[in-house]
Amino acid sequence: MKPIVSEGAEARIYRTELYGRRILVKRREPKRYRIKELDSSIREYRTRREATALARARSSGASVPRLVGVGRYDLYIEEIKGKTLSSALGIGSGATREAGVQLAILHNAGIAHGDFTPANLILSGKRVYVIDFGLSSLTTGSEERALDLLLMKRQLSRAEYSSFIRAYRSNAAEGNETLARLREVEERGRYQKRTLSNI
Amino acid sequence: MLVLGIESSAHTFGAGVVEAGKVLSNKKAMYEIGTSGMIPKKVAEHHILNANEVIASALSGAGVSVADIEGIAYTKGPGIGSCLQIGQLAAKTLAKKLGIPIVPVNHGIGHIEIARIMANLADPVALYVSGGNSQILKIDAHGKAHYRVLGETFDIGIGNMLDNFARAAGLNPAWGSSVERQAQGGSYISMPYTVKGMDFSFTGILTHAQRQLKLHTKRDVCFSLQETSFSMLCEATERALLLTRSDEICVCGGVAQNSRLKEMLAIVAKDHGARIGYAANEFNADNGAMIAFVGERMLSRGIKASLSKCTIEQRYRIDSAEVVR
Repeated sequence: MKPIVSEGAEARIYRTELYGRRILVKRREPKRYRIKELDSSIREYRTRREATALARARSSGASVPRLVGVGRYDLYIEEIKGKTLSSALGIGSGATREAGVQLAILHNAGIAHGDFTPANLILSGKRVYVIDFGLSSLTTGSEERALDLLLMKRQLSRAEYSSFIRAYRSNAAEGNETLARLREVEERGRYQKRTLSNI
Repeated sequence: MLVLGIESSAHTFGAGVVEAGKVLSNKKAMYEIGTSGMIPKKVAEHHILNANEVIASALSGAGVSVADIEGIAYTKGPGIGSCLQIGQLAAKTLAKKLGIPIVPVNHGIGHIEIARIMANLADPVALYVSGGNSQILKIDAHGKAHYRVLGETFDIGIGNMLDNFARAAGLNPAWGSSVERQAQGGSYISMPYTVKGMDFSFTGILTHAQRQLKLHTKRDVCFSLQETSFSMLCEATERALLLTRSDEICVCGGVAQNSRLKEMLAIVAKDHGARIGYAANEFNADNGAMIAFVGERMLSRGIKASLSKCTIEQRYRIDSAEVVR
């Protein structure tokens, strides 16, 4: 397969061509520490769950990459050209506002992203695309939704977060419930010292 | 500096003597958990009855007399209040009588630091797995050094899960050793697998495994429970390794005595060009030497506490304790 674009704990992303179009392949590689039966069932389940989340997000009108195909352990995805929000922060509140709108669309569709950070948001033109649904869940309660907000709160500046959360609140159907849950989550001691940005 | 360490946070009353980073003795008495688990009052009684003898044998094992001790360290927490109090009382009494400095130590830091230094690791991702705790940590380089919790259990510690299951299966509970022996040659049945980022949960798999005992052989359930829960730990550890770009894994705590867990983590390490390290089993089980070990490093830097500050704290978070390196 073609060169590796990135390597995460769970999957590798390759670049390839399909019918003349450049696409990405997200492949969940086997883990040698797990016994085979367990390993393949986890990889298969997560691949299918991610495909479902991506497809549902797209049909709900969220800006997400187009899903081109699904293999047993592979997702074939359209490549989004642009800059991640983590590398483009400080560029004004337009992008963070759009991120708030996108998250509201996902939550309204019953999808919690699970890793909603600026590194998984791509600014492409005026649109903000949400990528990497590898940790998403489709049976969402307010807890999962609140955790999506918490990740952004930890990583954005106060001004950026304020434009993000305003847009989220005015677009999310259960915004008030989720924000109440966020306050609850933040009050739990164990989350107070756990930002990842300063490891 | 000759330091006596006293550990009493759970079922073990331990005393160890350390000097210049060398363990001179490590003695313990362990409360028999049996089928009813740990009853705080009874465990405390056990510690009261055994404290003197364990401390005396630690001293004689090290070939020193009580007058030779230059500092005392004891476990401040986390742990069971009534149990912690016994070690605290013994430590404060000795410190006052001998007129020597005393320092409270975080139990988890004891486990990690003795394993880290004995295995000669510099700055590892630490997987700390015991009855009460299951966490993934790394030293935070910002400001005063302390362990940052990268991931941890949402509910119970993996050791607690294995012990509870062992009791339900009529096995002798102890850091999964009985489950490990039973698991030999088993075949896989599906179990709940719960990892969220670097966090994990064990209550779901415990309930599921207990129910499976009616449907499958004990061997198959033990095998599947062990493989699934250890895979969860490995996945979270692997994620932490990549995220922190570390090239060392340190596994410690009571469940680190399990050889299948160490074997799986060694594969994680190998696949990422990292090194894995751990202490001898004697130091993975709760013990006094690890408390003395950390205590000596603190005391020799002048970190000590007045007797009125020598408290206990049942929920003493590891990330709120300073680490002396």
